[in-house]
Amino acid sequence: MKRAIAIGVLAALTSFTAAAETYPQRPITMIVPFAAGGPTDVVARIVAEPMSRALGQQVVVENVTGAGGTTGITRGAQSAPDGYTIMVGHMGTNGAAPALFKGLKYDPATSFDPIGFLGGVPILIVAKKDFPAKDLKGFIEALKAGGPKINQAHAGVGSVSHSTGVLFDSQVGVKPTLVTYRGTGPAMNDLMAGQVDFMADQIVNVGPQVAGGTVKAYAIATPERAPSLPDVPTMKEAGLPGYEVSAWNAVFAPKGLPADVKAKLVAAVEAALNDPTATKRLTELGSNIPKADERGPAALQKLVESEVARWTPVLRSAVESNQ
Amino acid sequence: MTDLLSNLGLGFAVALSLQNVALCFLGCLVGTLIGVLPGVGPIATIAMLLPITFGLDPVGALIMLAGIYYGAQYGGSTTAILVNIPGEATSVVTTLDGHQMARQGRGGIALGIAAIASFFAGTVATILIAALGAPLTKLALIFGPAEYFALMVMGLAFAVVLAHGSVLKAVAMILVGILLSTVGTDLETGQERMTFGYAFLTDGVDFSVLAMGLFGIAEILRNLDQSETRDVVRAQIGRLLPGAAELKQATPATLRGTAIGAILGILPGNGAVLGPFASYTIEKKIARDPSRFGRGAIEGVAGPESANNAGAQTAFIPLLTLGIPPNAVMALMVGAMTIHGIVPGPGVMTKNPNLFWGMIASMWIGNLMLLVINLPLVGLWVRLLKVPYRLMFPAILMFCSVGIYSIGSQPTDVMLIGVFGLMGYLLIKFGFEPAPLLLGFVLGKLMEEYLRRSLTLSRGDLMIFLERPVSAVLFVIAFAIIAAALLPSMRKSRDEVFTEA
Amino acid sequence: MSEPVGGSGARGIVRGPQSFVAGLGLIALALFAIWAGGDLARGTLGAIGPGLMPYGLALGVGLCGAALCVAGLLRDGAQLQAMPLRGPVVILLAIGLFAVTIRPFAFGSLSTPGLGLAVAGPLAVLVAGYASHEARFSELAILGLLLTAGCMLLFGDLLNLPIPMLPTALIQALSGTLPSRTLLRIAAGALALAGLVLLVVSRRSAKREPIDVARHSLTT
Repeated sequence: MKRAIAIGVLAALTSFTAAAETYPQRPITMIVPFAAGGPTDVVARIVAEPMSRALGQQVVVENVTGAGGTTGITRGAQSAPDGYTIMVGHMGTNGAAPALFKGLKYDPATSFDPIGFLGGVPILIVAKKDFPAKDLKGFIEALKAGGPKINQAHAGVGSVSHSTGVLFDSQVGVKPTLVTYRGTGPAMNDLMAGQVDFMADQIVNVGPQVAGGTVKAYAIATPERAPSLPDVPTMKEAGLPGYEVSAWNAVFAPKGLPADVKAKLVAAVEAALNDPTATKRLTELGSNIPKADERGPAALQKLVESEVARWTPVLRSAVESNQ
Repeated sequence: MTDLLSNLGLGFAVALSLQNVALCFLGCLVGTLIGVLPGVGPIATIAMLLPITFGLDPVGALIMLAGIYYGAQYGGSTTAILVNIPGEATSVVTTLDGHQMARQGRGGIALGIAAIASFFAGTVATILIAALGAPLTKLALIFGPAEYFALMVMGLAFAVVLAHGSVLKAVAMILVGILLSTVGTDLETGQERMTFGYAFLTDGVDFSVLAMGLFGIAEILRNLDQSETRDVVRAQIGRLLPGAAELKQATPATLRGTAIGAILGILPGNGAVLGPFASYTIEKKIARDPSRFGRGAIEGVAGPESANNAGAQTAFIPLLTLGIPPNAVMALMVGAMTIHGIVPGPGVMTKNPNLFWGMIASMWIGNLMLLVINLPLVGLWVRLLKVPYRLMFPAILMFCSVGIYSIGSQPTDVMLIGVFGLMGYLLIKFGFEPAPLLLGFVLGKLMEEYLRRSLTLSRGDLMIFLERPVSAVLFVIAFAIIAAALLPSMRKSRDEVFTEA
Repeated sequence: MSEPVGGSGARGIVRGPQSFVAGLGLIALALFAIWAGGDLARGTLGAIGPGLMPYGLALGVGLCGAALCVAGLLRDGAQLQAMPLRGPVVILLAIGLFAVTIRPFAFGSLSTPGLGLAVAGPLAVLVAGYASHEARFSELAILGLLLTAGCMLLFGDLLNLPIPMLPTALIQALSGTLPSRTLLRIAAGALALAGLVLLVVSRRSAKREPIDVARHSLTT
């Protein structure tokens, strides 16, 4: 009762300010399907700030965790397409998920209105520091000669290091023994201690170790070398041109967004990517800032489709051979 | 030595700036306030509060986070003592004697001794990090999967000793706990195990959910139906802070707890979780009258609490020197560091000396703040216990629901605390204790991982556990503990040690 | 597993009913787990499958259960404890209500409206309170309103956590009129005010008709 009166009074007080009926009228929820503090969460929070400024309403990050990120994305896909719920998907949730999760309630290619690509974090192939091979060619030969005697670490099925690692194996044509860890930290610990031989992982996790000399990097899976690790050759330079992957993040909205709302969100992401503070922080994380032709909904849609097509066969066979 | 002093000097110069002291204080305060919500431990608190540090400069943000961490840690112990709900795995042990003390009107003493023991352990651990941080990291690399598996087996052996009822029932509870930990997506194959297709089970059961249910809700249910013994901290509140006699009694336990916790905390494979159990087991073993344990023995609070805090602190060593987060809390710290553009790794110490030593100094300041904030609050917490239970339990229930919802935004998590509450209630009714179950749950998950990883690496050869000296020694200790619990010739003394009438 | 009692049970077959039933429960749990994990590969030592641990653990739980059953048959032990229904049923109801009202929750095709903490909080406190025989409506309403107002300010305003605070319908209706934070503060203030008014009113009526709080209290 009291509340009704209070609201009534305030509504009356503010009615003459004549709120224009334009989007956005209230804060926008940005679903991050992982826990606060994780790599995707960090990226989301960095872009949420300039997006809020561009939209004139706060973009609130909500961490909805579970099932490798698919719980949050499912919730986002099923929410009203009014622009008040958007989500940050990544390589796993909007690329590899269909291959890994059988009962997935969304289709990365058709359930969303793509908003914008936020860039990717480069992947490196790293080995224990006393691994004898000098370069990537020698390393691949050693992998072929060693077969199952070689131990490859990864951070759990569905993780970036797993997906990109088995993609590497399948492109090179080797079958090392896969050793599973819960998260990158423990895997890196055992790599440093020499318990396992190699792994594929994001530059943000392995970069400091490579720079510190505790592990050895053979190549980076991007077209250009990373500024923070200038001595690590690209895959192309090292002789494996087809292996180009990154752990990417992108903003999606549920399918069926009104055109004007979509345009505003696209512009907000664009503004975030042009914001000097945001780009500086993203670069510090090792994330590449999307180039002009990688931005916008159309480019993102193309990326998602090519990612789904790329991961499905590789991961299906990797998961099936494991079961 | 001069290096150490100049480094610490640099650290304190950074940490003692007005802004950073204020941030540390604020962090401790907010951390305590959120951490004291029943069932909300450090992981949940940090995840919740991480966003509020985003606007600060890196050093300030990390100092505030460290404050939140210690505050939440102590807040978790506070609820363990006051309302018997552990905020995290390491405060499970504190419920055993701490809550008993609270029931006897010695809640203030339990809280006080927890704060003092924690402060002492924190101080020692800070010095340890500063002096030996770098060389100690070598220890981290000696421990491979086989050693960790052995360590977990040893931990489970401790868990048997923790129980004060029948050994058979304790073993059954440990096994049920491990069984529960296997629910969810299998890490190695990605297959779902015993999830029945429910999406909310694919990540398994969350520790906070299980702890809140088994301890928090089950405790409410139990209190509701025992109208005559519903003594929930009644009668006299007693003295608020521990006196000289109690301090003297707690000192040896604190010293031992600090040493045990500090060593286990350095291990990056979440070894810190074992500290409090190990400390409790040892205190119970060497006590002249072990039957006091489980009935409000002050050593049972001082030892595990100091082990807990020492471990919480030395867990920073692998993070700061190797760049490897040893547990979920530290993984969050990594997230916080990267968000501020600092990527933890072997270079942090040399590249960002301000940050590195500032953070170490702020750890100590954080511990001091805890003492400053919490000793006066003890009176307030204890007074809260005077609230009539008919009003207390709906409030606890609501805080549990809000807390668990805020962690993952999942209504199903809220429902699960009800389900586990009912399960905990049934367990109590049938004479089982929930503590071994929770410990089995925590260790079981790690144990399975380490077992499978070891055997993958050894290609199925079980000898890996005996060939490696550290692992072999740990197994011998584990079997000695189990043998002592089961050997018929020791039956009589075992009953004295482990059974409560 | 089943052991014939063989005349050892002189005074009735089951001498420790609590252990016996607990053992049966564990055996049932073990069978359930073996069934639930039946489709999982157990693998080999070199490549342990996902099914091995659950299976081994279930066997262990079953063995413990069998041992408890035997102990219940052979040794005198505790009786079964009475189990009143009111507490568990009402508490579970309160938790369930909180879960389905805090945000929209779908049961198949039906969905609850998201009512936010402003409604879910007082509702949970109010319902939970009735788990005790001494529940009094006004007291619980005051507690629920004040606690919720406090939580809204702490979690929503100070910490900015994304917990739904107000009913979705209300937010949509008022969309654009007020900044959401102001709305939150007004709502929290209104709840607190309602709680305080109730408190004053109930104090007054309590004076007229004194009730001995202590005698009714569960805990004194």
